[in-house]
Amino acid sequence: MPRELDAPELERSYRLDRDPEARETVRRVAAEVLETMFFTEAEEAPCDHIWLEIASCARIRFEGSHFGEMLLGISVEAADPIAASFLGIEAEELTDALRGQMVEELANILCGAMLSQLWPASTLALTSPELSPWMSWPAEGTLHCCFATPEGRLAISIRLTSGRGLPGAVSAGARPLTE
Amino acid sequence: MAYQVLIVDDSPVMRSFIRRVLRLSGFEVGECLEAANGEEALRQLSAHPVDVILTDINMPVMNGEELMRRLCADGILKKTPAVVISTDATNERIVRMIELGAQGYMSKPFSPEALREELERVLGERDAARA
Repeated sequence: MPRELDAPELERSYRLDRDPEARETVRRVAAEVLETMFFTEAEEAPCDHIWLEIASCARIRFEGSHFGEMLLGISVEAADPIAASFLGIEAEELTDALRGQMVEELANILCGAMLSQLWPASTLALTSPELSPWMSWPAEGTLHCCFATPEGRLAISIRLTSGRGLPGAVSAGARPLTE
Repeated sequence: MAYQVLIVDDSPVMRSFIRRVLRLSGFEVGECLEAANGEEALRQLSAHPVDVILTDINMPVMNGEELMRRLCADGILKKTPAVVISTDATNERIVRMIELGAQGYMSKPFSPEALREELERVLGERDAARA
């Protein structure tokens, strides 16, 4: 389990992208969430980001003992079958609204579960997830994983920021790590 | 025996998912009511008593913590077991909700089997208390 950090230490030295335990946690949580709640399998896959340009994406931010944000991308071909599986309906019955809500819900579940496992002793609050275009964050400081599922591709980026007022930091609208 | 269930969550897709998981788990559900927040839940409960409540924590209008307080303050409703469903798996949050009166707690992700086991446990405790 990644150790707890105080803010000065975070600013000085910690790099989420260089923490192998954090990467393993992201990999394990993504596989567990997709298997138990979305009834599909996910395995880490090499990055190939052309598909992300038209992917369904959601962004969620967190604050508290750690500040940061997570970005989730789901490829066009994966979004409908995964949403249909989650809701127990046929893909033809999906609407844009339902698809969007599913992407937001998946981002919320992934982010909440990852944070609970990365820093279980922390007190963190999440913002409501928002649909967003994919953003290529700087590799330095960003933990990024791509996954392959039978339905298509997923990508997750998560990064820490130094606190309020800095780029990417949460300033308002956060809610307790729940839902 | 089929149980009457109330699902309280502001996310329509999450309410649909919980219905789906209840079906998949084999848990016998009679009427399955839905509410988008604690206030709606209390309105539903005043007209339709249920066997168990499944509730989110963070919701607009009235959140899950306030709902638990209201349920515990009601002489009749406090006998209806409530299970919290949340992404927050931290000990602090679980202890807080149990202290507020929740009989069960499911952190996401969870399987249909795990939800069924938790429901059977809290309903078993309710039945034992009534006996």
